[in-house]
Amino acid sequence: MNLGLALTAMLPEHLLLLGIVALLVLEIASPDPRGAFAVALAATVAAAGAALWLHASGFAGMPFPGHYTVGPAISLAKFVLLGLAVPVLLLSRGEFREARYYELLLGSLYGACLMPASVSFLTLFLGLELLSLPVYVLVVLAFRRPESAEAALKYLVLGGTATATFLFGASLLYGATGSLSITTFASAFWLANPLALTGAALLVAALFLKAAVVPLHAWAPDAYEAASVPVTAYMATIVKAAVLLAALRIFGYAPVAPLVALLPLLSMVWGNVAAIRQSSFRRMIAYSSIAHAGYLYFAFLGGGPGRYQAVMFYLAAYGVMTLLAFVALPASGDDGVDDRLDSLKGLFHRRPAAALAIAAAMLSLAGLPPLPGFVAKFLIFRNVLEAGHAQWAVLGLVASYLGLYFYLRVIQYMFMQERTTELRAERARPLAWAAAALCVVPAIVIAVFPGWLLDRL
Amino acid sequence: MSDAALLNLVLWLPVIGIGALPLVPRGRDGLVRALTLAAVTLELVLAAWLVVRFDGAVAGLQAETRLGWIRAWGVEYRIGLDGLNVLLVALTTFLGPLVVAGAFTAVQRDVKLFYGMLLFIQFAMLGTLLAQDLFLFYVFWEAMLIPMFLIIGIWGGERRIYATLKFVLYTAFGSILMLAALIYVVYTLPWSGGAPSFAFEYLYRHPPPAAAQTWLFAAFALSFAIKVPIVPLHTWLPDAHVEAPTAGSVILAGVLLKMGTYGFMKLGIPMFPAAARQLSPALMALGVISVIYGACLALVQTDIKKIIAYSSISHLGYVILGLASASLIGIQGAMIQMVSHGLVAGGLFLMIGMIYERCHTRDLAAYGGLARLLPTYSVFFMLLTLAAVGLPTTSGFTGEFMVLLGAFDAAWPQFQLGHAAPLVLSACAVLGVVLGAWYMLWFAQRFLFGAPRAPHQPLVDLGSRERAILVAIVLAVFALGLYPQPWLRKTELAARQYQAVLLGASAETSR
Repeated sequence: MNLGLALTAMLPEHLLLLGIVALLVLEIASPDPRGAFAVALAATVAAAGAALWLHASGFAGMPFPGHYTVGPAISLAKFVLLGLAVPVLLLSRGEFREARYYELLLGSLYGACLMPASVSFLTLFLGLELLSLPVYVLVVLAFRRPESAEAALKYLVLGGTATATFLFGASLLYGATGSLSITTFASAFWLANPLALTGAALLVAALFLKAAVVPLHAWAPDAYEAASVPVTAYMATIVKAAVLLAALRIFGYAPVAPLVALLPLLSMVWGNVAAIRQSSFRRMIAYSSIAHAGYLYFAFLGGGPGRYQAVMFYLAAYGVMTLLAFVALPASGDDGVDDRLDSLKGLFHRRPAAALAIAAAMLSLAGLPPLPGFVAKFLIFRNVLEAGHAQWAVLGLVASYLGLYFYLRVIQYMFMQERTTELRAERARPLAWAAAALCVVPAIVIAVFPGWLLDRL
Repeated sequence: MSDAALLNLVLWLPVIGIGALPLVPRGRDGLVRALTLAAVTLELVLAAWLVVRFDGAVAGLQAETRLGWIRAWGVEYRIGLDGLNVLLVALTTFLGPLVVAGAFTAVQRDVKLFYGMLLFIQFAMLGTLLAQDLFLFYVFWEAMLIPMFLIIGIWGGERRIYATLKFVLYTAFGSILMLAALIYVVYTLPWSGGAPSFAFEYLYRHPPPAAAQTWLFAAFALSFAIKVPIVPLHTWLPDAHVEAPTAGSVILAGVLLKMGTYGFMKLGIPMFPAAARQLSPALMALGVISVIYGACLALVQTDIKKIIAYSSISHLGYVILGLASASLIGIQGAMIQMVSHGLVAGGLFLMIGMIYERCHTRDLAAYGGLARLLPTYSVFFMLLTLAAVGLPTTSGFTGEFMVLLGAFDAAWPQFQLGHAAPLVLSACAVLGVVLGAWYMLWFAQRFLFGAPRAPHQPLVDLGSRERAILVAIVLAVFALGLYPQPWLRKTELAARQYQAVLLGASAETSR
């Protein structure tokens, strides 16, 4: 193994690890670690910068042959993950001060960075577990109600199921092909070996479960509602993005049978319909994210490099706009009240900037032009149509139409109704401005110059 | 400055205005109003200059801008004036200052957001008209939804939330199918190498195979028909119109509904000529049904805003009839009728807003004999009523008469060949004129004449701001009624090209 290569290729991961070590030292050195947030932020920004540098310099290499690889596209994926993590960190400042929160978050990010770079199921499994285990803890860390513990347990059990399913699928593929390489997944389809096919199906199920696709979605609304705002934002964006990037690696450019898109389609429909009935903001976002997981997997119907482009673009547009909604959400100190959709009523009159930001986020998630979500949606359905699945594309578009209602309802609450619940003094979350700027600037770039990002994918 | 740069300025001026609005200090509502009025007035002046300079004898785009936008997909930022959009650009920019000034006293809440949304919708409407690239068109087309959703939902009447959601959900359903058809058209065309192109010009030259055209045309037509609206897709309109604030109603009736008919003219029919030729009799029938049905519903309303709302359905039925008639006179008549309806219905909605500000009710039974109480108001109201009825010398006459002439012109040779249906349809459309005179004059009679009765007395007659707005509209109505020649000349070439598409390439020679 070439040590220099391993140092350069894994620079973003190393920087995150450095941050974790620094946090641990800090925790031991001083009982009241005030600098934890700053250390974590510095590590994440440095890691994102390193990923961007690796991407820009076109660095490619395989420090661990057969397990871990780096190329410009992978570095860009890491940059997207780490870039989305910066607003999440800024958002965490107001809720968490203790070092252990940031240690767990950086650990989870480390796992997220491993996932797009994996070329063997071993590394991928490592990444998936490293991504998920800290999040189970992060959900309970915001322990406020007894239901939080219940939801966290549910998440843990279902997450464990996903892990077991993943391992089982990978081992079946290994048994059928004798290789741990992720390319065995695609070959399972033309091998037509029942063992390999079962393995592939189990892997798909695990990936669907992790990204909350119907009918494996039931954990998401509970977990999102139980967790704190930054952790929910983290689960909705980065965890989902990392899982999708892993799915991209596994599927590669292999054509996908339309049947695989059936569950994502159901996910779009059910996510969009069930969101209508929610009264909690985070539950609503959970159902929204279930629908968006549907769109993202739906994009796999499109073949070739277009699939990668569509999923990456969608993840970036969806990520920044979902984060924007969380960042702009005002806080009054009582999480139970803040989380109620009713509390958003009349928000425009109280905090116009926050209301406009949330409105932009909702319209983008609904996929209306001229917001970034539109170009992302267009890209997905374009690829599906181009691959010859016209009927599926029409069904998908109609399913996306169903989502319009609940996104518009949020705007209706903020702009057209007056608050009915008790009024508490609301403040913007600490550092919300910086976090919002980090979401808005990329969103504008994506919406106005989509070509700029497309050329890089 | 070149014409192309001026046209860009016309399009982007509202955005500059939106950028300036947040800088106005809190509580300075007067400044917000003045700033918005200045932006749309400047826009009108520049657009008027471009429209006057527009040469109807030149085929193709004028004042064209063409820039690469999303190069990987062949999407361009391409805008320009042509014979199809020039009249509607004039109408949109003309109504802009009137809408802004008309809302000076009516809107007192969230003033900054209101004028921001007015500027936003002005931008989106002009963009939809000027776009010469399908992707760009769709972006602007959908962008019109957002400001209208807020305008109706925030400043509307009691049932505003129901009305605005109904409006958006109806319109968006059409759009989503249009999006599917749009992607299909562009990405399934055979490419002669290089990137696909979304340019209208390119799509006109490469229509999809005839077998696919029917479905694609249906998807586009559904979207446009909801916007127009054509009966039976009209049920969102009365709610939206009644609940919208005056400015919203004026924009809706004045320009937004024309986007549907413009869509047929600019996209639906030229992009799918075979399907359009096949389905134009059905379209014609739907147009006539809208004329009659809208008029009948207008006849029985007791809410003054609803009368005008249903009359819009009826009047736009003529536009559809003219566009589907495939005769030059009918097509040109449809174009004039679009502008005429924008002026007349826009003016009537403004006037209803004025009386509503004074009396706070839209119930027709509460009013009577306004001619004595509000003499100046009544004069203007009567003039606009007569224009709506289609009295000669007003724009309404020019539009309706040309459409009917065109419909008969196209129907007569068909009748001689043994097809009686087009002739019957044309005759029914004439019946619509009679119904139109009935409901409008009956409305005016109950509203303006008889024993004086109003919920709030004494009433103050029109102020100078209100008079100035109405004078501008009435002058435009008569100008278009007495001397439509310059407008007909500007649109003739485009109308001939459109007619040639509808008649089929073999019948290139137009009558």
